[in-house]
Amino acid sequence: MRAWYVALALLVAPVGAAAQQPGRASGVSSLTGIFKAANVAASRGDHAGAIVNYRKLTEAGIHDPDVYFNLATSFAQSGDYARAILNYERALTLHPNDSKASENLRAAEKALEERRAEVEGEAMIRRSSSISDAIYRGLSEDALAIAMLVANLVFFLALTWTAVGRRRKGWLYGLLVSSGVVLLFCALGLGVKAGLLRDGPRAVALDDRVILHEGPDPRAQARGEARAGDRGQIVDRDRDFVKLRVVRGLEGWTPSSGVGLIDPDHGVH
Amino acid sequence: MIRLVTFAFLAMATLPWAATARAEPEVTVTLDATPTEVRVGEATRLEVRVRARGGRIQNLELNDLKKYPELEIVSHQTMRPMQFSFGFGSGVQKESSITNIFVLRPTVAGTYEFGPAVAKVDGKSYRSTPLTLVVLPAGRDTGGGADQAAAPDATVDAELTGARYDERAFLRTVVEPDEVYIGQQVNVTVYLYTRLRLSPQSVIPSKPSMDGFWVHDDPITSLQSETVPVMGAHYRAYVLQRSAAFPQRSGELTIGPPNVTFDVGGRSLFDAPQRVQREGVPVAVNVNPLPQPGPADAVVGRYTLQAWLDRTTADTGDAVTLRIDATGLGNVQDLRINLPPLVGVRTLQPAIRDQQHFQRGKLSGTRSWEWILIAETPGEHTVPPIELHFFDLDIEEYRAVSTPALSFTSSGSAKRAPPAIEPVDTRPKPSAATFGPIRMYSALTRGETPMRDQGWFAWLLAFPPVLFLLVMLGAGAARHREQRSATAGAVQRQLVRSAENALQANDPRSFYDRIVASITHALDSRLGDPVAGLPHAKLRTRLVAEGFDDDLVQRVINELEGADFARFAASGVSKDEMERCRQRTAAIIERIERSRKKT
Repeated sequence: MRAWYVALALLVAPVGAAAQQPGRASGVSSLTGIFKAANVAASRGDHAGAIVNYRKLTEAGIHDPDVYFNLATSFAQSGDYARAILNYERALTLHPNDSKASENLRAAEKALEERRAEVEGEAMIRRSSSISDAIYRGLSEDALAIAMLVANLVFFLALTWTAVGRRRKGWLYGLLVSSGVVLLFCALGLGVKAGLLRDGPRAVALDDRVILHEGPDPRAQARGEARAGDRGQIVDRDRDFVKLRVVRGLEGWTPSSGVGLIDPDHGVH
Repeated sequence: MIRLVTFAFLAMATLPWAATARAEPEVTVTLDATPTEVRVGEATRLEVRVRARGGRIQNLELNDLKKYPELEIVSHQTMRPMQFSFGFGSGVQKESSITNIFVLRPTVAGTYEFGPAVAKVDGKSYRSTPLTLVVLPAGRDTGGGADQAAAPDATVDAELTGARYDERAFLRTVVEPDEVYIGQQVNVTVYLYTRLRLSPQSVIPSKPSMDGFWVHDDPITSLQSETVPVMGAHYRAYVLQRSAAFPQRSGELTIGPPNVTFDVGGRSLFDAPQRVQREGVPVAVNVNPLPQPGPADAVVGRYTLQAWLDRTTADTGDAVTLRIDATGLGNVQDLRINLPPLVGVRTLQPAIRDQQHFQRGKLSGTRSWEWILIAETPGEHTVPPIELHFFDLDIEEYRAVSTPALSFTSSGSAKRAPPAIEPVDTRPKPSAATFGPIRMYSALTRGETPMRDQGWFAWLLAFPPVLFLLVMLGAGAARHREQRSATAGAVQRQLVRSAENALQANDPRSFYDRIVASITHALDSRLGDPVAGLPHAKLRTRLVAEGFDDDLVQRVINELEGADFARFAASGVSKDEMERCRQRTAAIIERIERSRKKT
């Protein structure tokens, strides 16, 4: 009789456990469904429909490089290159070695410049000119973190051996110096990725002309403008306004609706 | 000849002096009030000044001031600066002036006529122009009247607003008015009240924050002061900052606390300079929205509009410039004008220029718009009247001004405009670039926390350096122990060598001294405590307690007792006996050290 109870318990337990997680099960199913629906819309050329569905995913907390890639591609195919640039940048932030995303980002920038040049004679998008960004662009944060852990371990082992060992060899000093350099490189890289060398989160101008005002008010005097696709940093916020500093040093207040944040962590767009 | 040249030289040298002596002095007498229209109880600054270039000022009088006891004299200050200038050919020029500054507070409304101020220079009288001071009954200030912020002592005695009082020095922020409409001017003046003798060059003010305002600063070119009474004491009041601020949103806006640092003292060798720092207090301004109903684009101020075209006929496709100037009192940068679309005319974005002036505490100016109008079809084109709405604070009503309708005629066939000014097609055009394909599979990750933010990452990162520190500490401790041991061994060897030397020298007393010292030192090193001086019975107990075997303990005690005995009966000791003692001691010390290693 006891064996029957045990068998019944073993049978019922998984069912009960599954019943306790209905949200998760249905959530995954629903998100997958939205993703598939977005892909079908994109395949049929319904870019607006695809964008709506991909955005549903991002608004539901999905920060996946493939979703951002598809969203960016849908924007690019519908001609909204500024938003395409923003989402390719997001995809590259999450997956820096995505060569296709890099390629598409360049293509979107080129397309935007060409379209503007047709109208205005010349056009140039202001990209980030930071050397540190350029150096660490192709390395993911986690790769840097793992390399830092390993270099840290090797460096201190070599240092310990150098300090207390009775027989010191030349290769030990080489190991010490090289692991120290790698450690510094990784620490700096993590600092760059975490934004320690920036004054604020990275952003992309989305509207064709983003007017930069002296104060957080549309009536404040205009200082200049950023153009769609220009990169910058958000250095301050005041209600619905953000203070955008574009890469050439110009800064001013503009409505936050005209600017997109690259780092999804900051959660404004 | 030489006499002639000398005479000519002297004549030329004295000519400028003679010319100066004979020249009439240049004298200017002024009488001015700021403002000239005030309300009862408000302060006004009356300034009487005579400036003479080349003469001696004997007197400066304003007799009419005594006629009006209704004008209470709050403070009076006299300044007598004197300047000398040296110019080639004109000798020394002396420039002197006398300035009397009265701060008046009217107690009765009315019109007060002041006759000319009279100055006497070199026995001759000079007069200023007369002055009229209008005093209105007390009431709510509409913002269109006097520059209240310029009178620091208006409310000081009654209520010290905008300041944190300090008996030596304090900052005061005067905001006038403190309840306004959006876009209405607020005069912000920061005063430094001090009883200290400061050095004007050392004054370093920092501006208060004015978030939510558009600010126009009236630069302070030189530090001027007045004497004002505060809480029964006289202070020097310096104006540090004067600004016209225009609130950009409604609600309660705050003007942040100003800061200043300055030096006092340092005027003599025994008076060391002292740095003084003061911070003011924040001041709130209540900003109300403009009264409703009213035009949506209205601004606060009083403006006039002028409009004109640079020509009234042009070829089709050529440009005509339309210019509109809005001039008046207020912040012209708030002004917006939208040109409606003109049929058959392409309009380019306007060029906008601003000119602003800050006079008598009021900001005024002109904003100019210039549109390029390009007629695309022949015929007459009309620019309709353009309206500008504003809220006039003097009458508390909305008003509107407008331009007349303006026309121009274009003739000839339309010609294609150059591509540079073609209208911008803002519709996004897909590029020929390919961006696909989209990705059909995704893990749908939720932005995983980066490894660097995981809790274990910091621990793992800290582990190697902590391990390194622990190893280094351990190695340091071991090294210290070895060093101590090495030191003990060296002392031991030294003692043994001394004993051998004493043996060679056949000096039993010294030899047995060294023997006792050797055994005692070996025990000290082993036990970590000095044992010299312990009675042998206690030493035995101690050694047994430390785990020495009984045989060794017995040998140690025997050897020490024998050595003690031999030290005091040294004459009967043979060299052989000493040699045997040395060998026994060496064996005992070895056993003591072995015993140490064993533990």
